[in-house]
Amino acid sequence: MNTPTRTGRILLYPTLVLLLLAFLAPLLWALSGSFKPRGDIFAHPPELIPDPFTLHNYRALIDDQPFVRWFVISTVVAVIATAVSVFVCALAGYGFAKFRFAGRRPLFAVMFSSLSIPFAVILVPLFVILVKTGLGSPWFALIVPWVAPAFGIFMMQQYIVQSVPDSVLEAARIDGASEFGIFRRVVLPLLRPALGALAVWTFLQSYNSFLWPLVLVSDSSQYTLPLGLQTLFVSEQRQYDLVLAGAVLAVLPAVALFVLLRKQLLEGLSTGAVKG
Amino acid sequence: MTTTVAGRAHTARERVDTARSSPRKRSWAPYLFISPFYLLYVLFMLIPVAVSLWLSLTEWVGLGTPHWVGLRNYRNLATDISFHRALGNTGVFVLISVCVVVPLALLIAQALNTRGLRVRDLWRTAYFVPVVVSPIIVALVFGLIFDRQFGLLNSVLRALFGTGGVDWLGDPGMAKISIGLVMLWRWTGYLTVFFLAGLQAVPKELYEAAAIDGAGRLRTFATVTLPALKPVTAFVVVTSFIGAAQIFEEPYLLTGGGPAESTLSVTMFIYRAAFQRQQFGYAAAAAVVLFVVVFGLSTLFNRLLGIGRATS
Repeated sequence: MNTPTRTGRILLYPTLVLLLLAFLAPLLWALSGSFKPRGDIFAHPPELIPDPFTLHNYRALIDDQPFVRWFVISTVVAVIATAVSVFVCALAGYGFAKFRFAGRRPLFAVMFSSLSIPFAVILVPLFVILVKTGLGSPWFALIVPWVAPAFGIFMMQQYIVQSVPDSVLEAARIDGASEFGIFRRVVLPLLRPALGALAVWTFLQSYNSFLWPLVLVSDSSQYTLPLGLQTLFVSEQRQYDLVLAGAVLAVLPAVALFVLLRKQLLEGLSTGAVKG
Repeated sequence: MTTTVAGRAHTARERVDTARSSPRKRSWAPYLFISPFYLLYVLFMLIPVAVSLWLSLTEWVGLGTPHWVGLRNYRNLATDISFHRALGNTGVFVLISVCVVVPLALLIAQALNTRGLRVRDLWRTAYFVPVVVSPIIVALVFGLIFDRQFGLLNSVLRALFGTGGVDWLGDPGMAKISIGLVMLWRWTGYLTVFFLAGLQAVPKELYEAAAIDGAGRLRTFATVTLPALKPVTAFVVVTSFIGAAQIFEEPYLLTGGGPAESTLSVTMFIYRAAFQRQQFGYAAAAAVVLFVVVFGLSTLFNRLLGIGRATS
């Protein structure tokens, strides 16, 4: 902990408030703009409180655009990706944290090094394999990039090492539980905070992803939310009013999820990094 | 009598069974636990990387059979000015990320770690919010903010200083800075979380000892804080490097890589080659170059800084 000097103490709160404004202003501006008629969005000077206040943008977005469908597709894909990913990561994290086996170190190193493979490297081949060969339906292909993140395994492994004592596992073994039974009934419940953090993180990654859906989905009836919003922006008459309303609606589930589980997420994310 | 014998025989057999099967069960168990990951890893990571390597040696428009051309794609990349620009621009984005975003995140974390700070959680949460927001929304909103005529930024500048005709996205130099500003906005709060966790894990005794030794603020920072933060800093620097090296959404959506390719990133170059120009082999070659650079450098950093060993 820092003990601040007097000038430090005086400057601290104004600095933090200024930063807060810088971080939140773009979003507040978008929120306010979403309730303005198109002509008022760029008014000089910018007004924070919409006057006149209108819900027209939201109505137009939902009535005239397939916004609800974009939203459903993105959400369903994100939920499936999250469920698969969290399960795979918990399994592997536990394997690495609580067992000593031949090849553990090199296998761990291989897993960890996949963090350093940029997605752009597998973008073209993944597209070729899944789309050109006709193997993957978009539903399947959309979840593929998220199902086995090394980051999640690393996070789980660190968390299990720190918070699942060996004695509990030994006790369950003496009681005759199977290895998978121990994982399901003893380990998983202990992992709840870390699972929550990883789930939120994976959900956000998938829900917000842009590059892979952009490459993958050509049929506009299968657009995800980010692709759909982009069409409003690049269309002939840039529909700023609808874009802002869509941005607000799209960000709501993400922010709600984050606010609900922020403690877990913020602490879970840094679990691995602190010890290195 | 018989029951006892049977019972005893039963337990004895059971004991033998457990003695025999348990070590075997234990020795297979870890492989079963990690196998789903490695199955997916091979299918969706290893095979694609191998396919990328092979495709990079071919010429292919995405239809028919790829045509083997050996190293020609790489030779073309070596003289392709667009690719050089993409590498240079990406290098600038990496430098912004590592030399501006990371130190700023450390400063903010240091401020948030002040003793007696009220509602620490509120600040931390508010600064983190941009990470939660989809990059497309970030780009759309910032596109409007950066607009030369109507944008929020220029109208604020006009109100404050009377001049506000900055061409944020249309001038080659300014466009890079604008992308950098968006990166700063998006990632600072995320990295702050890591630094703050690191700072809070520094044992209080170290600070007390430094205070007793009469160390000033700077000396305490240099001798206590920085060394204690080494693992976090290493992690943060490597993740920001890897993240910035594959930047795509910001330039794609805000500037389309322009003006005059001044914000074209390597990932955008790959995307453009494959999906707008149907040069799949050429795109794969660029991807292999990106892979070699990012994988090589981050593996080197990890070795030097000691991240990612299977410790427990």
